[in-house]
Amino acid sequence: MIEETPSSPENLVLLLSQHQESIFRYIYCLVPVEADARDIQQETSLALYRKWEQFDTSRPFLPWAFRFAYLQVQKHREKSARTPLLFSTDVLDLLASEREHVADHLDRRLRWLDVCLQKLPTPEKELVISRYARRESAETLMDRLHLSRRTLFRRLELLRQRLHDCVTRQLESEG
Amino acid sequence: MDLESLINAQLEGEITPEQHARLEAMLRDDWQARRRYLELADQHARLLRQPEVSTGRLGRTSPISRKIRWRTYALVASAASIVLLAMLAWPQQPTDKEATSDGVATISQTLDADFEGKSQRNGDTIAPGSLTLRKGLAQIEFFSGATLLVEGAAQIEIVSAWEVRCHRGRVRVHVPPAAKGFLMHAPGVKLEDLGTEFALNVNGQDSAVHVFDGEVIAHTKGKAPASLKEGMTLASSAGKFSSDDFLPVGEMQDIIRRREKNRLEEWKSWVAGVCNDSRLISFYAFQHPSDDRWDRLVGNFAAPLDKKRAGGAVGAEWTQGRWPGKDALEFKRPGDRVRINLDGSYSALTFSCWVKVDSLDKKYNSLLLTDGYEPGEPHWQIYEDGSLMFSISYLAPGKGQVRKINQIYHSKPVITADSLGRWHHLAVTYDNTTGLVVQYFDGKEVGREVSSFHQPGRPIVFGPCELGNWGLPSKGHAFPIRALNGSIDEFAIYHSALSPAEIETLNLKGQPK
Repeated sequence: MIEETPSSPENLVLLLSQHQESIFRYIYCLVPVEADARDIQQETSLALYRKWEQFDTSRPFLPWAFRFAYLQVQKHREKSARTPLLFSTDVLDLLASEREHVADHLDRRLRWLDVCLQKLPTPEKELVISRYARRESAETLMDRLHLSRRTLFRRLELLRQRLHDCVTRQLESEG
Repeated sequence: MDLESLINAQLEGEITPEQHARLEAMLRDDWQARRRYLELADQHARLLRQPEVSTGRLGRTSPISRKIRWRTYALVASAASIVLLAMLAWPQQPTDKEATSDGVATISQTLDADFEGKSQRNGDTIAPGSLTLRKGLAQIEFFSGATLLVEGAAQIEIVSAWEVRCHRGRVRVHVPPAAKGFLMHAPGVKLEDLGTEFALNVNGQDSAVHVFDGEVIAHTKGKAPASLKEGMTLASSAGKFSSDDFLPVGEMQDIIRRREKNRLEEWKSWVAGVCNDSRLISFYAFQHPSDDRWDRLVGNFAAPLDKKRAGGAVGAEWTQGRWPGKDALEFKRPGDRVRINLDGSYSALTFSCWVKVDSLDKKYNSLLLTDGYEPGEPHWQIYEDGSLMFSISYLAPGKGQVRKINQIYHSKPVITADSLGRWHHLAVTYDNTTGLVVQYFDGKEVGREVSSFHQPGRPIVFGPCELGNWGLPSKGHAFPIRALNGSIDEFAIYHSALSPAEIETLNLKGQPK
């Protein structure tokens, strides 16, 4: 049994605040450009707000929200039809349905990501902080670390690979 | 470029149109490529949202140059969407950041301790800084493993988990092998501990140290480091120190044990009075009788004794409550609960209980829930964000309607990382005439609200219900798990809304000291 709640905007706000990271992750996989993904997330929140009355509170919120997010991704695709750097509709479909299948698996991976971040050697941790927390630009990083652009991106690639491998190993030993 | 590099170029926004086309082709043709892409993109998305996760290095640095566009503002007009707007503006602040603590030690025992400034309780985590104890004794356990016993009046300064400065007073230090290297500063001397027990007395500019066990290296200005071994005393001024000047250990434990025994007696006589309150529906003291052969009885102590209202423990195990000698039930497994059945129909209620929450690991964490959720039935639980959540179910007004409306009241979040693992008093009062719900945490009001759905005079009923879980909902439905992860010690149910002063008294009289 699920508690029946009147569909007040407050409840939506609660649900949105609780799930905003999941929604962002979902959108980002389909539109891997941060600023665009954030825009789409806002549009999604608005769409959810407009249709909130129709939400069946006995059903889980996230799948419902993902459907709206997907529609917004498609809208964004149509609007920016000429941008070559967006996935075409058929690839979007494939990614979205694949993601649905592996959603639990992705959640599980993220739980180990924290552990793996801890295990990083200090220079790699610094790189995480510079790139993700401080949002330092490539130029700043190149300057500070005396790296060529190519080497910097290679290091970032290795960093992400390292984290990915670590998570995979943790999952395997989880049994 | 291989798949890995293409994905990375995409994530960094460095991809060229040709590379993008190649990446797309790979994703289209190969599910393994899609899987790899999804995993890496998801990981990247998470880092973008929560970069400081576990790196433990950053506070809340403000994000620099975000390309967030606010054209959606114009679309929102209605007043109700103000909250939603706040919501939309929010994505800039990662919310589910991993909790961090700047604590380096914890207060493990106190005896008549009177701290200057912020009061400290057992179990409190302390951050680096100055700590002044006016009187009494306090035992501080450093995260490095070192333990410090301080006697007031004393002033110490905690530098880190490995370093303390004593400005005045008597302290005694125990350093296990794992905390070797622990540093204690006193006027004119720095003591480096090599795994030992020693005492320090600081009086003005004079300090004296006595080693009880092991070895301490004393560094004094202008002199070579001196090794102090068991039984040796070093004083900065011409020795006027005797063994009486050093803080003895052991005595504290005896006094504490005596205290705890008194505390139990004090509580017993207080409860005897409370149980005569005619407004009680039931009072579960969570003190299990030694002659209960089944060990499952959760007795109702409200007078006159009504055996029908006694509770039955399922799964939950007896454990120590707020102090030694006081019992509590520990709820750990998903099936653990206390079954009760309360007849009657009421116009007001008060719930009051002592709870030690170990973790808020479910969406809803049960305190008291009626089976199912029929009109008039109250539910009391802790929401995952740490707020207390009281709700009561009623049929929506209007003819032919069978829709249920759930009047939900949330307090502000009160169960935080700091409140886990320690005893807190929770209470809520509800009156069906005014519709007012007041929620309390440790005797203080943390929520006061009348639901917009309130209609005066609708009765409150219980029927079969349970503490610490929600287990027997309607037939044929799988039920969500709402088991409490923690312990309950004392649960009172009144058919009247107690006043704030009365709730404060319940909190004061029941507090673990």
